Amino acid sequence: MSDSTEDRSGLTRRRLLQVGGASAAVAIAGCGDIYSDDNPATETPTNETEPDEPDQPDEPATDQLAYGNCWICHHNCGQEVTVKDGATVDITGVDGHPRGSAGAGTEGTVCPKGQAQIEKVHDPERIKQPYIRENGELREATWDEAFSYAADRLEQFDDDHGSETFLNAASWTTTPVVNRFWKNLYGTPERISRGIHVCAGPTFMTGGMMGVGSNNRIPDYQNSEFIIAWGRNMLESFAGQFEAKGVLTAIEENDATLVTIDPQHTETAQKSDEWLQIRPRTDGALALAMANVIIEEGLYDESFVREETVGFEAYRNAVEDKTPEWAAEKTGIDAEKIREIAVGFAEAAPAAGISQWTGTAQYANSWKASQNITALNGLVGNIDRPGGLRLWQSAPTADPFEVCEFTPEGESEPIQGVDLPNNAEGKQKAIDKHDEYSEYPLRHIEGIAHNLVPDMVDNGHINGIYVHYDNPLKDGNAAAWREAIEEMDLVIATDAYWNGVSRNADVVFPDASQLEKDTLGTGSWSAYSDRTWVTGSTAAVEPQWNTRPDYEIIAGLAAAMGWGEYFPWEDNREIINDQLSEVDLTLSELESGGDNYELLAEYEYETWKSSDGPTFWFDLGHIPPFANAAEEAGMTTAPEWQPPGTYGDEPGGEYPLEFYDTRAVFFSHGGDQALKGSQERYARRHELEDEDYRGNYLVLHPDDAADRGIETGDMVDVVSETGSGELMAYVSGSTRRGFTTTVYGFGPGSVQPEEEGMNSMDVHSKQMDPITGMVARHIAVDVAPTGGELS
Amino acid sequence: MSENWVFYYDFNRCIGCHSCAVSCKNYHNRDPGVSQREREMADWRNVNHYESDEGDAFEEIPISTSCMHCHDAPCVDVCPVDIIEIREEDGIVTHDRPDCISCKQCLDACPYDAPTFSEAEDNKMSKCNLCLGQGTGSAHGQDKRETPEDGGVKPSCVDNCVGEAIKAGPEEEMLELASDEAVERFENGAHNQRVIVEPMRTGSEDVESLVDRVGEGN
Repeated sequence: MSDSTEDRSGLTRRRLLQVGGASAAVAIAGCGDIYSDDNPATETPTNETEPDEPDQPDEPATDQLAYGNCWICHHNCGQEVTVKDGATVDITGVDGHPRGSAGAGTEGTVCPKGQAQIEKVHDPERIKQPYIRENGELREATWDEAFSYAADRLEQFDDDHGSETFLNAASWTTTPVVNRFWKNLYGTPERISRGIHVCAGPTFMTGGMMGVGSNNRIPDYQNSEFIIAWGRNMLESFAGQFEAKGVLTAIEENDATLVTIDPQHTETAQKSDEWLQIRPRTDGALALAMANVIIEEGLYDESFVREETVGFEAYRNAVEDKTPEWAAEKTGIDAEKIREIAVGFAEAAPAAGISQWTGTAQYANSWKASQNITALNGLVGNIDRPGGLRLWQSAPTADPFEVCEFTPEGESEPIQGVDLPNNAEGKQKAIDKHDEYSEYPLRHIEGIAHNLVPDMVDNGHINGIYVHYDNPLKDGNAAAWREAIEEMDLVIATDAYWNGVSRNADVVFPDASQLEKDTLGTGSWSAYSDRTWVTGSTAAVEPQWNTRPDYEIIAGLAAAMGWGEYFPWEDNREIINDQLSEVDLTLSELESGGDNYELLAEYEYETWKSSDGPTFWFDLGHIPPFANAAEEAGMTTAPEWQPPGTYGDEPGGEYPLEFYDTRAVFFSHGGDQALKGSQERYARRHELEDEDYRGNYLVLHPDDAADRGIETGDMVDVVSETGSGELMAYVSGSTRRGFTTTVYGFGPGSVQPEEEGMNSMDVHSKQMDPITGMVARHIAVDVAPTGGELS
Repeated sequence: MSENWVFYYDFNRCIGCHSCAVSCKNYHNRDPGVSQREREMADWRNVNHYESDEGDAFEEIPISTSCMHCHDAPCVDVCPVDIIEIREEDGIVTHDRPDCISCKQCLDACPYDAPTFSEAEDNKMSKCNLCLGQGTGSAHGQDKRETPEDGGVKPSCVDNCVGEAIKAGPEEEMLELASDEAVERFENGAHNQRVIVEPMRTGSEDVESLVDRVGEGN
């Protein structure tokens, strides 16, 4: 089902495939026996020993069709999966899918990461059964043993330390119940997520405070005539393939100008009309100079600024002397080029958009860079106008805890809703409760910071952790985190792969991978600029080996804790159906008609016209917690220039190179570096597939390499003041002299089975943005051939 | 104009992601879960990346190639056992694989380095068959290739090309969707009319020469 108001053929284009009865290609076994599973752990895939399956030896194996919502970067591109004999054998996209196509009438595809999901289903490197720690060693356990052991340990932990010192670090789970379990039931107020703390805190938070939410990330590509990829590489590191497709469409159909601002060459830079190879961490200077030009030349949207914004005078004052010539010195970009880009952007506005995300948010002076860049949108008045900064809307979903209908045990009448307690009520987070963190301005804004967790463990303020499909060792002060994980009294890990956390956990729950689970996506931005949407899929195949979908893991743990009554759903599919009740849909309906998405309500542009107050804030003095944090950090509330080194590292002396970690199109975050097919692609991409090495590569400028006697294929050490790592060099003019990068998610502590390569965070200590605590990933280092002397 | 199948490649839409190569490997069941190093099974479709210069002038250009099913396929001429054919009905170049003697002369002759040989496959040649069949050695003797509109499968590389840079079909259909400039180049004999290539929108490297360099060991 895709669109009830449009006539769509919805035909499967590749070949005639059977659409499974209940949408899933393989019937999912009933879950009734899940809580009484005392069978010994086995490595045999459970679907091969299904006793109730009728035996049909005369029937030839038939390809069956199932759907998926890609979860590898959790941006939900539609997947159409071919299943044969319970195995995922082929995968392609869903035509017209909001995240995986360019929109109506266009073809859906699946990128290399998404395609690797069919490999992940059957990857022998996966965690195949539960484990518990006994006499210091992890041993295989049954599910009942693991649940019961975890429940006992959690109860003991509460008695010993208090549940409020247990940190919920669940990441991109496929079920909405995880945070409810830890907060409402176990009663911990401590929670750390990924987006703000290690991904792009300043982008999210400046956008939120300036009035546009985190929509400063994804402009309205399809309608844009001028797109700035500011520290972004959306042709390779996209949040859904619609991004790459949207940019290419805008170039082709709107003759849009594409400008990339990036210290390093990317595919997006290659396809751009202009690539500005900016000096790292000087984006804030460029943004101020662009504003200077736009104001000087009278190219800004005067009526929008006058009627809809706050703080323009402070902004004007801040940019008054920030001429292109001034910025040229800071950024290394010609003043005339700065003028040209500023004028081009302003003249194309409002059909001009900026995409900013991690590249301008992962250094210690990135708060002001993010604010200065986001301010340009308000200046040219592109807010929620076609081709500009779109205020994306999401489809509403119901809270399953409120709408579920079930018959409690011992009752005869069904009731609606689960009366969930809030056992975290009245409990304080460590950052608010203890004086040890009073020197950090971020405490005014955030409840925790990634780099402060090891201190909190040292201080006894955090004593345990639940990690779920995430690896904190790839983001921030890895060495300190490693010690913290060892020091914590209780570590529970739910994951598909072994990594530095799961290997050191007390309990390990083996999570089914995405195609073995029921999933739902309702996100905002997509190929449809004016429609909300939902996409869903039932599991394509059964959970492999002795793994379980995350809902069943949490529900099983809850039952062992005596909280089974709060989880009346048999499986995540029932939860998704409850969520979808808000839009009168079911998962089966979503998966009927030749696709697995539905376009919902239309929404207008310029939605701010219907509200009375201001739309956009250049100056953030109206937010007292920010004003307090800014004062303590020594910054103003208006746009402002802060040079590199104001906070964080500044290369020089013994550590002359600037190191940064990036992503490749073959990997997303740290979750799929275990996959051999993906490792292979990455090696081939660098023409290093013949080397006996499947770690990450250090991209080094030819002059920096020559100075140090390094050639492509050499093993090198990267050394900072506080740590080091070893990896293979790739010498290329794609980077600036003095700027060296690698793809993160490899090396010690990673899911790469041999832990090959460098953990990019092993050179990191505690560098961060003072306002959000966002991990700063630009580190001063030097590089030398392995075993050799530093220069 | 001919009904022979050809590939169409638009560099401007290729994002260098290798989705085409991964998709090919999955569709033809060439052990997607096993690494190339272990199985010694080369890809039927490859993406090569050509880097040049440095600083602001740096360029990196991805070029995706496979067997182009050349109308003048050099491999046909050099095969000593005469097992490679250009099919009359659709122009797809197939071979009678069991009779391959693994001399690799086809690989030497191929402008695109398309034929592959591996221990895991008895060292006999295998290559792209435009998804006429599914799997190694499956295409020989198959009926005429149908277009997706007529019920044929879409070539797997085309099906998962994120940028829609690769297309394939009867030559006349491909020329219809190509730009005037690409058609003109093709008609003037670019690449010996083996593949239709769009001119580059940005970038100073000459995509024409890059496509032809694929088989020259970079």
